[in-house]
Amino acid sequence: MTTDQLITEFETFQGELKSFLLRMTASVQDAEDIVQDTYIKAQAKIHTFRGDSSLKTWIFSIASNLARDLLKSKKRWPETVTDICREEVLGNRQFIREAIHISQTSPQGHFEIKEHIAFCFTCVSKSLPLEQHLALLLKEVYGFKVTEIAIILNQTDAMVKYYLHVSRSRMIEVFDQRCSLINKQGICYQCTELNGIFNPKQKAQEELARIEMARDAENKSKQELFDLRMKILQELDPFESGAAELQLHHLEHNRQIMENYLEENK
Amino acid sequence: MNQQTNTEARQGKAKTTKTTFSRETSVSTTIGADPVIVWALLTHASDFPRWNSTVTSIKGEIREGETIELKSTLDEKRTFKLKIKEFVPEKRLVWGDSQGSRVYTIDKGSGNRVSFTMSEKIGGLLFPLFASYIPPFDQSFEQFAVDLKREAESIQKAKE
Repeated sequence: MTTDQLITEFETFQGELKSFLLRMTASVQDAEDIVQDTYIKAQAKIHTFRGDSSLKTWIFSIASNLARDLLKSKKRWPETVTDICREEVLGNRQFIREAIHISQTSPQGHFEIKEHIAFCFTCVSKSLPLEQHLALLLKEVYGFKVTEIAIILNQTDAMVKYYLHVSRSRMIEVFDQRCSLINKQGICYQCTELNGIFNPKQKAQEELARIEMARDAENKSKQELFDLRMKILQELDPFESGAAELQLHHLEHNRQIMENYLEENK
Repeated sequence: MNQQTNTEARQGKAKTTKTTFSRETSVSTTIGADPVIVWALLTHASDFPRWNSTVTSIKGEIREGETIELKSTLDEKRTFKLKIKEFVPEKRLVWGDSQGSRVYTIDKGSGNRVSFTMSEKIGGLLFPLFASYIPPFDQSFEQFAVDLKREAESIQKAKE
């Protein structure tokens, strides 16, 4: 494969790669750095690419290794990340001022509940063990097959199946216990709470009626609700969506809080 | 003096052998899954309570030489401190304390099938003094085997 061919193909999935890395690292800076490093590494090693897998699988393998190198020494986030960050936000007027400014001035500052569902998953899924997190995103959000994920993670198909089963089960359980959109007893209602800040109440009801996961929560199984949650992530590009700037600002805030929290709770 | 039970060693049926100074319970079952999956289930401590209805919690890492703290439904008030004595990936796992050892063995068969056996022998010179306080393991062992088989086969059958 020539460098020109690499550039052409790389561009076709660069957006997906960047969004995958953002969801792994929760950092725009890290995601952008790893995309760049991935390209440099791919270009340097393109002569070793034999076509045993697709180029996309090969590139995601390089990127996953780089993400793993960055994240392996860092502690995983707690499942209660959104509770911890909410408490911090309430005492951070500057964050609130900035967020309102973004929502009023940026073309990518329109708060939507759907966007927050994706944002919430990005934060909560960082509580999974690293390999499980990688496998879950690759399969459920980016549509890779088990055999492709096995190549990307340098694992057996059986181990990937184990990672997928366990991580999916864990996330289903966490959201079933926490998310008030799918469980009336759920303790987290931040998406509707934030909607109340950024949008009139009516808009929340209209929006929830359009989100299948929330609208049909009582009629769907936990598995189906999780699939619908994943569908929301699949359809959203966290860098290009209508709420991108607002959500990325919020994500950076959560990342900083988590870094401090994990440092203080070593 | 042997008081061996006549329980048949059927698939998934526990068998207990008693002597004056020891008691050994074992269960075997065939599992339609890759040994990697069975091994992963047996060695990811924090995940145990999700699939195994006989284990309340396991703290620590299941790795050679490590010590884990296990709480089981057999005696929920008690925490068992157990050392990982053998750790041969996808083949054999042994943990235990001074009173006994639990041995898990995985034998790979043809295709994605394994023969799984779990046994535990407890005993010693003082065994007759406390034997009557130790509940029978049979039911718990059978449930463990059922849970492991169901979970491993469910993972194996997952869509690719």
